[in-house]
Amino acid sequence: MDDQAQADASIDAAPVSRREFVAGVAALSAVWLVAGAACTRESSWGGDSTKLVHFSPAQAAQVDAISARILPSDDTPGAREAGVVYFIDQSLTGFAKDQAPLFAEGLKSLGETVAKKHGSAATFASLTAAQQDAVLRDIEKTPFFGAMRFATLAGFLSLPKYGGNKDYVGWKMIGQEVVMEHKAPFGWYDRPENQMALLGKVL
Amino acid sequence: MTHQRETTAAQAGRTFPTDTAVDFVIIGSGVAGASMARELTRKGYDVVMLEQGRNVGPDDMEHDELGAFRWPRWTNDAALSPQTFRTTPDAKAERRQFVRYARAVGGTTLHFTGNYWRFRPIDFREYSTHGGVAGAALADWPITYEELEPYYTAVEYAVGVSGEVGNDPREPMRSRPYPLPPLTVTGPGVLLEIGAKKLGWASKAAPMAILSREHNGRQPCHNCGFCLGFPCEWGAKSGANWTMVPDALASGRCELRTHSYVRKIETDDAGRATGVIYFDTDRKEVFQKAKAVVLCANGAETPRLLLMSKSNRFPDGLANSSGVVGRHFMFNGGGSASGEFEHEVHAHKGPVVTRISQEHYELDPKLGLYGGGGFDFRIANPALMRTNGMPENGPMWGSDFKKRMRTWFLNSVDASGHTTSLPVPTNAVSLDPELKDAWGLPAMRVTFQEHAEDLKLYKYFQERAVEFMAAAGAKRVIPTPIRTAPRQTVHLLGTARMGNDPTSSVVDKYHRAHDVKNLFIVDGSSFVTSGRGQPTMTIHALAFRAADHIAEFARKGEI
Repeated sequence: MDDQAQADASIDAAPVSRREFVAGVAALSAVWLVAGAACTRESSWGGDSTKLVHFSPAQAAQVDAISARILPSDDTPGAREAGVVYFIDQSLTGFAKDQAPLFAEGLKSLGETVAKKHGSAATFASLTAAQQDAVLRDIEKTPFFGAMRFATLAGFLSLPKYGGNKDYVGWKMIGQEVVMEHKAPFGWYDRPENQMALLGKVL
Repeated sequence: MTHQRETTAAQAGRTFPTDTAVDFVIIGSGVAGASMARELTRKGYDVVMLEQGRNVGPDDMEHDELGAFRWPRWTNDAALSPQTFRTTPDAKAERRQFVRYARAVGGTTLHFTGNYWRFRPIDFREYSTHGGVAGAALADWPITYEELEPYYTAVEYAVGVSGEVGNDPREPMRSRPYPLPPLTVTGPGVLLEIGAKKLGWASKAAPMAILSREHNGRQPCHNCGFCLGFPCEWGAKSGANWTMVPDALASGRCELRTHSYVRKIETDDAGRATGVIYFDTDRKEVFQKAKAVVLCANGAETPRLLLMSKSNRFPDGLANSSGVVGRHFMFNGGGSASGEFEHEVHAHKGPVVTRISQEHYELDPKLGLYGGGGFDFRIANPALMRTNGMPENGPMWGSDFKKRMRTWFLNSVDASGHTTSLPVPTNAVSLDPELKDAWGLPAMRVTFQEHAEDLKLYKYFQERAVEFMAAAGAKRVIPTPIRTAPRQTVHLLGTARMGNDPTSSVVDKYHRAHDVKNLFIVDGSSFVTSGRGQPTMTIHALAFRAADHIAEFARKGEI
């Protein structure tokens, strides 16, 4: 299944499927039907989101453990359920490839810190959650942690075709619906009864 | 790779030869270029429109936040078109992307917010109203609001602007009401209204280039929420890609060539433009002959191309006898604040903006501030950028952060202020002496530093934003730090300014270059002053007006 088909399949549960809706929009104008059909994609990633393409298994274990402390799995899904490690792995061969050295050096340095503090047999992934948090607090201000944090959020909230946000768990956690349209009222404040109470009129 | 030209031919329904002079060659297919193409073809002229980017069709439009904001799926790309930046003219510029625009058919209107504010009379006569500001080249426009008004109206009806005539007596005259009713109000719109009511500030439905009703066969907004930064799959957001470009192509008089990157406007010994040289899809050079050239490449690429088009006759760059090409680079500033509310707002649904306040459009002279602006309530970004940019007033990772992400996403809103910024001669687009782009051309170099008077104004707007948020009932208000250069910027203005005096401006009041009779320059570069936050409607109206005059010059043989 290619990226696009995968994204389509995921969104098919929505009231209007992406495919139907693209077809519908394209049909509006013959000019754009031609344009759309011939349009070329300039870039794409994805594919098998459980196979590593960049990290070694040991590196992946550390990245997975770090991302799971940034967005832990608690009463709601976290980085692990979203497959953030696969997202980061793929991104470092794609749009974020300029950051590959930063990740490589950051992981190496983290490994050394952990070995110094907890013995040469220890890895970040082998520590307890409290020990992991203590290690991360020490590197909170480093460029490596900043990049790890952004990449974790990105893997949690980007389209699943990029390797993370599996089954849109990230979107669902923060309250972003997987739909192509919304209908009013959108939230609490624009409900007619609340507008009336707060403004004395309905806009 | 060769199918691109065939696609183009199919779109246009015809092609024009490169070795026969076409009536007009238009550089750029953004709101200015596409509007020029639409208007000139309607008046019976043949045009070739060149676009450096690609045609983004419906199957290339996705709710892809990573593509929109992290890797440049639809915007200019540092790998192809690197830029350099410095704050002062004596510093060496460092590599950094400063200018951002959509690199595609429709230009930046492909992914814009759609704020279609008209200017008011004050925006055309800042200098005569306030007098000069030290360190700024403040000047009046050579045209007035009244001259542009019919074109504002024509634009509103051509694209289908949604809005309402407010009850603010400070609003200027308009010859017709809005063609479409306001968009459905969203949570942020209601909150703006609550704040404005409490403070006694003017407010009204925002004038938006997004359809509230079906218009010209396009369907209304479906409130998907992926708006600013995204192309509109529904065709409801009235970017030039959905409006001006299809109209121009349907005329049968326009050929659109995508992946066509212009490197030079060619001139002859008599100083007339003869056509343009561009790189095609395969990076092969092509010369398109033309009777006249219309340059609409945006406020940053337009001056760059003029500077790259130097020749023996024009050693300092084309149309640059005044020396002001590239200077007075402006984009709109502002001051903002975020608020967290008790209930869920769901500001991620619907258009970015549905209500505005222009209470501070013109400020009380007693404040001693130059300029003014307006406010809307919004969250500008979807989930990733919104949560990544959360204020650092709590945990930034871990379980508590994860809980905050959800509350911040669903319950927060920003009061977003948009203001003037001053034309400073040293704030400029120029050619980097060392760095080259992917085609071997000089990279864009930006020199920029905020004027002290602008920073005072941004601070004033930030304070008003805090006040606005509190009045709207926010539980917690967080002022947004005032961002200064080098932040990325999208409103690209003032770099080939319009004026009556050829020694201090680049084009005349009809957008004709003072130095080259058959070269017209129409886009944000024509602005003399910045206006108050939302320039696209004025760029659009200027293009409609320019086309009217240029077609008349052509008819009378005066080009």
